[in-house]
Amino acid sequence: MEYVNDPVLLSRLQFALTAMFHILWPVLTIGLSLFLVAFEALWLKTRVAGYYHHARFWSRLLLLNFTLGVVSGLPLEFEFGTNWAPFSSLSGDFFGNVLGFEGAMAFMLEAGFIGVMLLGWERVPGAMHFFATCMVALGASLSAFWILVANTWMQVPAGGHVSAGHFVVDDYREAILSSAALTGAAHMWVACLETSLFVIAGISAWYLLRGRAAAFFLTSFKLAVLAATLVAPLQIWLGDASGRSVFRYQPVKGAAMEGHWKTNPSGAGAAWALLAWPDRVAQANDWSIGIPDGLSLLVTRSRHGQVRGLRDFSARDQPPAIPLLFYAFRLMVAIGFWFLLLTVRTLWVWRSGRLTVLGLPAVRRLLGAWLVSAPLGYVAVECGWLVREVGRQPWIIYGLMRTDTAASTLPAAAVATTLAGYVAVYTILTAVFVIFTRRLLVQGPALDRPPAARQAPARGAF
Amino acid sequence: MDIHAFLAMIWYLLLGFILILYVISDGFDLGVGILVLLERDEGRRAEMMAGINGIWDANETWLVLFGGALFGAFPAIYAAALHALYIPVSLMLFGLILRGAAFGFRAHARDTRPWTLAFGVGSLLAALAQGYALGGVIGGLPVDGAQAAGIGSWPSPFPAIVSAGVAAGYALLGGTFMIMKTRSGLQVANRRRSRYAAWIMLSAAAFVTIATPASYGYVGQRWFSMPDFVFLAPLPAIALAAAFLLLRSLERDCERAPFVWTLVIFLASFVGLTASLYPYLIPTRLTLDDAAASSPTLVFMLVGIGMLIPIMLVYNGYQYRVFRGRVPRGPRVAMRRAEPPGAVAPSPFNYRSHADSSRWTQG
Repeated sequence: MEYVNDPVLLSRLQFALTAMFHILWPVLTIGLSLFLVAFEALWLKTRVAGYYHHARFWSRLLLLNFTLGVVSGLPLEFEFGTNWAPFSSLSGDFFGNVLGFEGAMAFMLEAGFIGVMLLGWERVPGAMHFFATCMVALGASLSAFWILVANTWMQVPAGGHVSAGHFVVDDYREAILSSAALTGAAHMWVACLETSLFVIAGISAWYLLRGRAAAFFLTSFKLAVLAATLVAPLQIWLGDASGRSVFRYQPVKGAAMEGHWKTNPSGAGAAWALLAWPDRVAQANDWSIGIPDGLSLLVTRSRHGQVRGLRDFSARDQPPAIPLLFYAFRLMVAIGFWFLLLTVRTLWVWRSGRLTVLGLPAVRRLLGAWLVSAPLGYVAVECGWLVREVGRQPWIIYGLMRTDTAASTLPAAAVATTLAGYVAVYTILTAVFVIFTRRLLVQGPALDRPPAARQAPARGAF
Repeated sequence: MDIHAFLAMIWYLLLGFILILYVISDGFDLGVGILVLLERDEGRRAEMMAGINGIWDANETWLVLFGGALFGAFPAIYAAALHALYIPVSLMLFGLILRGAAFGFRAHARDTRPWTLAFGVGSLLAALAQGYALGGVIGGLPVDGAQAAGIGSWPSPFPAIVSAGVAAGYALLGGTFMIMKTRSGLQVANRRRSRYAAWIMLSAAAFVTIATPASYGYVGQRWFSMPDFVFLAPLPAIALAAAFLLLRSLERDCERAPFVWTLVIFLASFVGLTASLYPYLIPTRLTLDDAAASSPTLVFMLVGIGMLIPIMLVYNGYQYRVFRGRVPRGPRVAMRRAEPPGAVAPSPFNYRSHADSSRWTQG
């Protein structure tokens, strides 16, 4: 039970828990808010009441989700200081600056319009309401951008130098807009869109399977499938780009997530392990099923391109939990391809004219597949972040500061108490969210209610 | 004054501005949460909570902005203070999580009472923890060099008194805000509760005003030496006059005056406290020059955040405008609980039109 007395480990566990819990919520907020922009635009343009009802139905889900995103985001803003004070002192000039940007440009924008968007249907004119919806979506997406910029800097600390215990920024362009940051931000943003599309389509499929409001939910289902046609292949392409960016900037992380131990000699390709069991003690895979030259092709685009193996790095610079990295990465990739496959299959069914209200009983299995796929996007997102963050270890800022030197010297009891508190509170919040979301879905959309008057009512009431 | 010290000064003022915006705006909605605990009738509690619906979330965001901007502009303070304040900051976070989640969930609950209670308890916890943190900062944090040397001894009496004062101050802000938002019986109750809160806050403020100069030589010297005395003396005078006018306005039928006088007291106390402790950010350990980020960062942040502050004020102001006005009378708790799913029930969350169901408009 030594672990319980190690405040650094406890702080790491706490950060992992709070971050992994938090990321569950913005994913849907980002994607769903953009979907709502689309529905509201369609409503304003066509004045077809169905679009209005869609906007209102999905915005209820957004609200529940947004609330949890806000409250679970608060600890992250302060944990850097409470649990990672030496990291904060070193990185504040850039990292804190970027968090401040996120607050000012993104979070405040979202918060400043979410009230109008969710509660203002009766209070503001239609155009103003649409503007609020757009600002919420913009704020949510900008927030993802700045967070990825901050995180990428921890992976690739570019654009400055350390002087007197502080990272001083010399070139903001290089520090913010590195190619790793752009790839990372795009990969995460599209992950949010893709996860949301599969949640929307999955929920729609749930209603379609029950034959409830079939015409209504066929609209959202088709819109989601259509968007997925673009997003699913794009994400695989961006995933490939992110992977190659990892091999470029953090070769040790790349080697760990692929279970690649020995650098391939010139004239021979590195195999890509489809499945394996990487063993840190033996510094080799216990067993593996590989595709010859696969890794060289993936990383360098040539059969015999050189890919550095884990053994090139001393054991103290290798990440821990290599099997976790290896399988989390594969699970994420598998989900990405599954999403593409499902989308292509659905397009095929759609094209053959079977995706109609009357044809639904014939495509039950397909709808069932969408339903069970709804949570998979979250799994992929968590896996991706696991690979990104655990793969960066033992560094907190890659090559600049080690994680074990970055933690505040806190009494273990204090950290253990807060960690236990987060476990308890987040378990309860998740349970309540599930119960209330289920209730909301069982209740369904209120299709019989006429759209709200689009003009703000007279001011006389006050 | 060199350019770096000048930039640090600008950020010191900007952070002060962000912090006071936070204290006042989230202060009144945290205060509403505290007052909800004193109210027995669930319908009235719902009315009070409806008064901050649509705006509380943005109010809280000033805290997030404050955290980020402090991290960027004064990394050493962010690191040392938060580390040393581990316990009150963690308690504050738990309080804020509890109240935010409870407010959101309450709109979906069949029985709203446990959520109302959780909202109240979370608000009180967050307010007490913020007060405790403030008390810790004034009373001196265990900081050695530029790093925290521990998390202090807890609990101790001085921060506990400040904590009670801040919670009472928030309750006062919430109560006087509610006087503007509610009618008849509930308004009378808010006047009464505001009076109690005012007395507790004023006692705590008097204690801090005397204790701070007494425990820090440099603060005492500043207050009782010329010419600083001339500039500082009006602050307690203004606060005292505002306190008198506040208590008088609570006795009379004024609706806006109590909130305005409360704001004046908060502003005077805030400016007085900051001026007393200047140039320290963590008294007698770290000054703003010691802790400031490098000049390029301060400039870059000024462009990215400073310039946005007016825009943030505009759209936050717009949101306030949209949600202005009094909360209509809420139905009693029995009615809300009996509401079948999908029924059109009048709800205090739904200000004007009861034709559009509360299902859509409640938050």
